[in-house]
Amino acid sequence: MVGDKKYMSMIVQPIFVSVVYLFLYLPIIVMVLFSFNKSANPMKWGGFSLQWYTQMWNIPEMVAALKTSLIVAAASTLLSLIIGVCFVVAHKWWKSEVLFSFFYVNILLPDIVLAIGVLSIFTFSHIPLGYGSLIVGHTLIGLGFVIPIIRARFVELDPYLTEASLDLGATYFQTFRRVLIPLLMPSLVAAGLLAFTLSLDDFLIAFFCAGPKVQTLSVYVYSMVKAGVDPTINAISAVLLGVSGILILVLLSLNVIDQVLSQE
Amino acid sequence: MRRIRVENVTKSIDGEVILDNLSLEIPQGQFFALLGPSGCGKTTLLRLLAGLEGVDSGRIYLGDEDITHVPIYKRRINTVFQQYALFPHLTVFENIAYSLRVKKMSSEKIKTKTQDALKMVRLAGLDGKYPASLSGGQQQRVALARAIVNEPDVLLLDEPLAALDLKLKEEMLIELIDLQDKLETTFIYVTHDQAEALTVADQMAIMNKRGKLEQIGTPKQIYEFPTTRFVANFVGSTNIIEGTFHVRDGQQKVEVEGLTIFNVYNPLDKHWMIPGCRLFMSIRPEKIYISKTEKEGFSNHIQGRVVDIIYYGMSTRYYVKLRNGQVLIVFEQNEEHFPQEVIDYDDLVHLYFQKENVVLLEH
Amino acid sequence: MKIIRRIVAEEFPFILACPALVWQVFFLFLPVCVLLLYSFFELIPGHWLGSFTLDYYRQIVHSRALWAILNSSILALITSTICFVLAYPLAYFLAIKVAKKLRMFFLFLLILPSWTSIVVQVYAWFFLLDKKGYLTQFLYNAGFISDNFHFLNSYGTILIGMVSAYLPFMVFPIYAVLERMDKRFLEASADLGANGRETFRRVVFPLSLPGVYAGFLLVFIPSFGEFAIPSLLGGSKYAFWGSVIVDRFLRSRDWRSGAALAILGVSIPVMLVASSFIVKKIIEIKKRREKKRLTAVKDQW
Repeated sequence: MVGDKKYMSMIVQPIFVSVVYLFLYLPIIVMVLFSFNKSANPMKWGGFSLQWYTQMWNIPEMVAALKTSLIVAAASTLLSLIIGVCFVVAHKWWKSEVLFSFFYVNILLPDIVLAIGVLSIFTFSHIPLGYGSLIVGHTLIGLGFVIPIIRARFVELDPYLTEASLDLGATYFQTFRRVLIPLLMPSLVAAGLLAFTLSLDDFLIAFFCAGPKVQTLSVYVYSMVKAGVDPTINAISAVLLGVSGILILVLLSLNVIDQVLSQE
Repeated sequence: MRRIRVENVTKSIDGEVILDNLSLEIPQGQFFALLGPSGCGKTTLLRLLAGLEGVDSGRIYLGDEDITHVPIYKRRINTVFQQYALFPHLTVFENIAYSLRVKKMSSEKIKTKTQDALKMVRLAGLDGKYPASLSGGQQQRVALARAIVNEPDVLLLDEPLAALDLKLKEEMLIELIDLQDKLETTFIYVTHDQAEALTVADQMAIMNKRGKLEQIGTPKQIYEFPTTRFVANFVGSTNIIEGTFHVRDGQQKVEVEGLTIFNVYNPLDKHWMIPGCRLFMSIRPEKIYISKTEKEGFSNHIQGRVVDIIYYGMSTRYYVKLRNGQVLIVFEQNEEHFPQEVIDYDDLVHLYFQKENVVLLEH
Repeated sequence: MKIIRRIVAEEFPFILACPALVWQVFFLFLPVCVLLLYSFFELIPGHWLGSFTLDYYRQIVHSRALWAILNSSILALITSTICFVLAYPLAYFLAIKVAKKLRMFFLFLLILPSWTSIVVQVYAWFFLLDKKGYLTQFLYNAGFISDNFHFLNSYGTILIGMVSAYLPFMVFPIYAVLERMDKRFLEASADLGANGRETFRRVVFPLSLPGVYAGFLLVFIPSFGEFAIPSLLGGSKYAFWGSVIVDRFLRSRDWRSGAALAILGVSIPVMLVASSFIVKKIIEIKKRREKKRLTAVKDQW
């Protein structure tokens, strides 16, 4: 707009923004850079090398932790989606809004409370900790995100569609399968990606509820960090960053497609 | 094909009574219109018939079968929704074939039936399109085809033409009549637009608040011989004159104080027509003859002054104030470009009407 | 068998909702009740419950554990404040000054670090700031710092880690609100004679408050319960609520007092969220009263 003090918006703000981004990315850039360092000593640049990336696959604990993380993420995502979509659909049919607020607790409470909760209930029931408790915990968090996302799309749907389907002779289940799931698919995919990423990244629940024999990738990295700087960690972290980046890109691109579809 | 019978049905929504002890029988194979003002409960009745809502008390019969508690998807009744409710993720073909696929019919049968339905609504060739790319009228027809492909006993239509413009509406009305003729399915058509109802219906019912049925009959019966003041006012316009009923020398008369005594003729003796009782006369505006000169041959004659004139192209509406202050509406068809007589504001005019054209209504 | 099929077909909505509710009750609400019970009942070997006691709570109030709660509150508060100070201009810049096409790119960059495991984020700082880390070694070799200097184990480092982890969460809600804001408000305000600063003060900032509040909650609550960052970047120098809980539950196995501490501590975020609902309700009631008043005035006309 005319008359605005140009120097504020032209100089100060961009500098400020750059500084903030730099602050956020400096450690990451350095870390990734040194993941390619041939020498293990951060002070000496031994040349460009991918050895840490190949070496990390040789560590059995790392591979086991990765497998665990992936299995848990897949399982909890699937569970969250199935349970979540059923709940959203059923809830609208009930025509009551109250129960939705139940699930806000999952995101509003600090993760640590969820973690010790799961820990307690498993110990209380004398069920050993392990994959089960991990999946339970991650599903809880997943539900907290999946339900609002699916619900947002569900309320946009024409309410008469379910009625039309029933009127034409389809049972509730057939309506669910033939009409609702296809129409909700974009939100299911987005919510699924989100839940998957959250589960992969989670540290707190895994730390508390995995038990002595099971370890996710995050917990493994944590124990390594406690031991000190190690270029292998740089490599693992860089890989995790890359994977997250890809997942986010997919998620973001999905939203664009989703918007385009909904405008059709 | 079976007929629908509603017996003592009551339905409340959110504490408000929408239908109060309603009983109605709809003959089979007819185009039945349900006409009433907004909020009278006609859509609720439709939803009860479809099974989308449950009755609080009462029964619904389809033929001899009590379907009151039969779930929606088991009833052989289909609905055409006001906003069409077409499945956006399915093609036109799949939308129409939906009810057949759900029944797990064979692919060839589905193809034949769907194509037939498409032809019936004149949409052949549009199978592969998606609803979003169709016009309002086309979507309307897909919704129709989807509902009839299953050959239901009854087809419910909830103000299906509400979203269409006038020309399209007129077209669709005629198509609907043709369709019903061909299919011989009972069509139950709900609307608040009396022109639509009068056009399509073989039989119609006028519904008032709380589902009260004012009158049931053919469009002609309803229009020409309304039985209540509500019906007379709601369907078309009319003039209502209040007076006292008398019988003199075997002739029925109505005395209106401050005005004159009118000759009336109502062959159907209604039990409430006791000499000396108060009643209403209803005369349709088109049944009144307006002239500046005196005429012979009419059983009733009054005079008045023209206070308002509205030109409708096809007809002209005159508002004539009588001696007692009441204003009557008179329609005159504009038959001539250059009429012999031009009636203007403040003109003193004679109004004539025959005694057979007066309808007597209970007070 | 047929009866079951019929019931399933008709009560389908209810059946669908069950798993979610069962899950939630069984794995969230029930455990919280269990924790509550644990905190109020003394541990007696052989009995799973024991006798009612407030000892565990008393213990906490009279010990360092209370400080842990306080520490966490202060840390969360400072983190939120710093995040707010940094995030708001950033969000403003992105929402209003940056071209639409570039926004996605900047947002992507912003999400990326926070979308990775917190351990990775913290390690990045760790790599720089550890005794054998890059920055420390660099500065030592360059002669700027002495042998004993630790970047880690200081409050400042913890804050740096917290802020870098949670900054994006403050930016997003504010960005979302500002981006959705009708830009014509700015034009109208300028047209009415307000300069940039006044427009901001009177128009933009009040409109962005819901986003600020959401951001505040999104940062405060997790940082209140945070323990990974203080643990990795701060060593055992500071006791935070999260770390003490870890200690009680996983090391000393003192679950009763751990539960009590958890209940006591979680009351703070709970009060925060509850207060937001109350504030919303108050605003709603005020609006309704205002509406009534206005319609009454209108009727009088």
